[in-house]
Amino acid sequence: MVPDPHPLHEVNENQCQVCMPLGGVMALKGIADSMVLVHGSQGCSTYMRLSMVEHFNEPVDIASSSLNEKQTIYGGEENFRKGLDNIIRVYRPKVIGVVTTCLTETMGEDTGRMIGTYLADRSLHGIDIIPISTPSYSGTQSEGFWTAVRDLIVYYTTTVSPHEGVNIIVAQISPADTREIKRIARLMGVMITLVPDISMTLDRPYGILYEKIPPGGTRREDIAGMGGAKATIQFGYCCPDPLSPGKYLEEEYGVPLYNIPLPTGLMNMDRFIRALVSITKKPVPQSIMLERGWLCDAMADAHKCLAEIRPAVYGDPELVYAVSSLCVENGAIPALVATGTTSSRFSREILSLTQDGERQPEILEQADFSGIGATAAQKGVNLAIGHSGGKVLTERHGIPLVRAGYPVHDRLGGQRILTLGYTGTLSLLDTISNTYLEEKYRTYRQLRRTEFYDRGGVIHAET
Amino acid sequence: MAINHEVLDKILLPYPDKVKKNRIKHIVRKNPEEGCQQIEANTRTIPGIISQRGCCYAGCKGVVVGPIKDMITITHGPVGCGYYSWGTRRNKARADENTPPEQIYGAMCFITDMQEPDIVFGGEKKLAKMIDEVVEIFHPRAINICATCPIGLIGDDLGAVAKAASERHKIQVLSYNCEGYKGVSQSAGHHIANNMLLEHVIGTGDAKSEPEKYVINILGEYNIGGDSWEIERILHDIGYTIQGVLTGDSSYEEIKNIHIANLNLVMCHRSINYIAEMMEEKYGTPWLKVNFIGVEATKKSLRDLAQVTGDETFIRKTEEVIAREDSVVLPVLEQYRKICAGKIAFAFVGGSRSHHYQHLLRDLGMEVVVAGYEFAHRDDYEGRQVIPTIKLDADTKNIPELDIKPDPERYQEAHVHLNLSKEKYDEICSRIPLGYYEGMYPDMKSGNLMIDDCNHYEAEILVKRLKPDLFFAGVRDKYIAQKMGIPAKQLHSYDYSGPYAGFTGAMNFARDVAHAMTTPAWRLITPPWEKETKEPGDNNA
Repeated sequence: MVPDPHPLHEVNENQCQVCMPLGGVMALKGIADSMVLVHGSQGCSTYMRLSMVEHFNEPVDIASSSLNEKQTIYGGEENFRKGLDNIIRVYRPKVIGVVTTCLTETMGEDTGRMIGTYLADRSLHGIDIIPISTPSYSGTQSEGFWTAVRDLIVYYTTTVSPHEGVNIIVAQISPADTREIKRIARLMGVMITLVPDISMTLDRPYGILYEKIPPGGTRREDIAGMGGAKATIQFGYCCPDPLSPGKYLEEEYGVPLYNIPLPTGLMNMDRFIRALVSITKKPVPQSIMLERGWLCDAMADAHKCLAEIRPAVYGDPELVYAVSSLCVENGAIPALVATGTTSSRFSREILSLTQDGERQPEILEQADFSGIGATAAQKGVNLAIGHSGGKVLTERHGIPLVRAGYPVHDRLGGQRILTLGYTGTLSLLDTISNTYLEEKYRTYRQLRRTEFYDRGGVIHAET
Repeated sequence: MAINHEVLDKILLPYPDKVKKNRIKHIVRKNPEEGCQQIEANTRTIPGIISQRGCCYAGCKGVVVGPIKDMITITHGPVGCGYYSWGTRRNKARADENTPPEQIYGAMCFITDMQEPDIVFGGEKKLAKMIDEVVEIFHPRAINICATCPIGLIGDDLGAVAKAASERHKIQVLSYNCEGYKGVSQSAGHHIANNMLLEHVIGTGDAKSEPEKYVINILGEYNIGGDSWEIERILHDIGYTIQGVLTGDSSYEEIKNIHIANLNLVMCHRSINYIAEMMEEKYGTPWLKVNFIGVEATKKSLRDLAQVTGDETFIRKTEEVIAREDSVVLPVLEQYRKICAGKIAFAFVGGSRSHHYQHLLRDLGMEVVVAGYEFAHRDDYEGRQVIPTIKLDADTKNIPELDIKPDPERYQEAHVHLNLSKEKYDEICSRIPLGYYEGMYPDMKSGNLMIDDCNHYEAEILVKRLKPDLFFAGVRDKYIAQKMGIPAKQLHSYDYSGPYAGFTGAMNFARDVAHAMTTPAWRLITPPWEKETKEPGDNNA
């Protein structure tokens, strides 16, 4: 009998997901001249800073309303107002995003009302304060991210006259990925409004003046004009409709929505380029065709190696879907696909990737690494792709890990991991192949010796 | 640049008046003519200021009870808090004759992952079921349950769940009401954890004191990067027996029996002084403040300890070990001194480290010109003599003070614990300050700054103005300095290095610090085609 890989129902042992407010903060960090106030106990902002700083290797300023026991009884409005006063004096932001926490949501704090009163009392001009509700018991980092992006768009967009620009709404991707999307749009000659743009805010180069609020990010004026765009391309393939910013733009302003997977993998990237072409009717430049050609060449080079890989892919649903698609198109059919959250679309879309093949991956939602590890061992997984939480798979089960997504805490350069576009796909593909080959070279001779010599020629590779 | 009023004014300039009035009390420029100057500490964090402080949960789970290796610590709450405190402190633990590898849970993270219905209808059942499953799978010796913010609000009765589970499974299940909003910082969590361990764990073992051995505990040592292993190595070589280290590489089994010790050593005064004090009241165990960070500081601590034993063998053996270690360490440090001497540093860490590391940096010829704690109290700056004068505010009063009575069977007077005559004990006390900590203030040089609860913005201004050669802080603040071209070193988790304690640690630290300052990259930041007069980092400063 096959042992049940999920014998537990209550124990969440070694989590695969981070909390909802962190996703909200991540989105707000991609808005120009913005600051974030986490309305709750100060530990939340300190923990989120710790997590983000270790991933991005950048200063990350997240303010807190620092609620104490007294405010949990009498309400946190006074602290909230003091917090806003101080942020405005010291940081001079144009946008302040207020994310809530499990503390203030349980208290029932009405941040929308509190912001209204504050703005009326202070008669501030030029500062937008935007409430974003992120109770960590109602979702994960993924839901927090989409909620924040949608709320920002709802807040800023107005009816504007149609223009030639294209909206690009990205999922949680790295600053390097963000730069890659912008580069491709430039090569295609397409004017884009990219939300949220963390390309500079969470990856500052040396040589520019150090300021408390980093340069870059999507300008609020640009978000305001998103309702007049020719179309929206959104990398929110698994994003549920009620959270979908692109869906909102479509319903409210009639902006056609191309809701497509993250452009990791040849097919996904082709979908992105095709969407740009069909929206703008512009030709694909030769330089992009060359990049595509190099990727195809690399896929041909790597196909034998990749076909041996039985990967486990886990993390944020968007990344997991796109990376799984990359694996499938290269013959490395995932043995296991997991996410720490749950979504109505996730399983369906993953299954549709492999429906024509003989092998179907095991799909885990609301997974933890105890479940992922047990299933991986049972399914003969020989490589994992995902964030650094999966290091336990290496430690406990000897499965080599390709780090991608958020967070990457035990290696340098989380902010620079490039997985998008033909070029990013190529580099991810090489990393996957080479990580597998390194393991193979390390163990191949011993395994063959065991098979052919110790066991007297009886082939028993799979035990 | 000297620290003058211009720098301080610059710091305070953008603050609203009320904030200015508040912050100025947390900043002290040492002036010996004013006696020991008062600094404000352990008061509420100003909202909206990017503080380095964490929360009560972080102090309780993250610092004190999390590292106990053979206990499973369950975080009761939604996913965030448990995740963020998973493995971030680098408390090392190893199996030994008392604790097999399968009973070490330090690298794992357990949460109840509360969802919306749990918040609405209560999470007690979920928690109880989780405890049952954890017991069934892992068979831990004991379990901790740490509360996160929403728990206090929805009114889950952790104590009742723990008690029932304890009766069901016949193991101890401890619950900590360490909701993040309690107190003003991690400090409240330390206190809650100290109370629980003293009341329910320490003294519950049946080990008997061993008269032929000299037994000590090391309190407030968390074995970050192996610090405690280095300290234990030295103490074992001298001949001491270590019963328990709280809580680095410690086990529940050991902690139950730490009452048998002759003496408690206190490393991190802030996080553990409650246990030291309460053990003194309950068992009469005296405590000695030590500092094993820095070669000279380690030697002083070892010599103080030897004096307290009043035993010539320990005194002689201590000198032998010191001579042996000196012969290895001093020539190595001398090499690094050539790089480090004359350099200045900032230190913003913890509730004791900003003091401890000043000794190690002094060994290298470096000076700490600005130092501050995140969550310390006034006594950690000014010394324990100020404790009676500290006015308790509402946040502190909300943390229960235990009413400790001497244990009728185990209480012994301090000199009996130390195997000394009363006269000899009194004589030693006149030389070695037992039960006392002098704080950071005496070790700061005149004119240098102490800043309590320094924030991101203040740190930035100070770095820009004073241009230190090295910046010591947690990872959250590390990159402000690095963005301005100044090397920064993490002193919470040591940037995946260590140990830094004791003699071996001093060599590791010297090497890491020298590497940080001599990296050729710092000199290459300004491109060759730009003005050659520019200093590295000027672009950003």
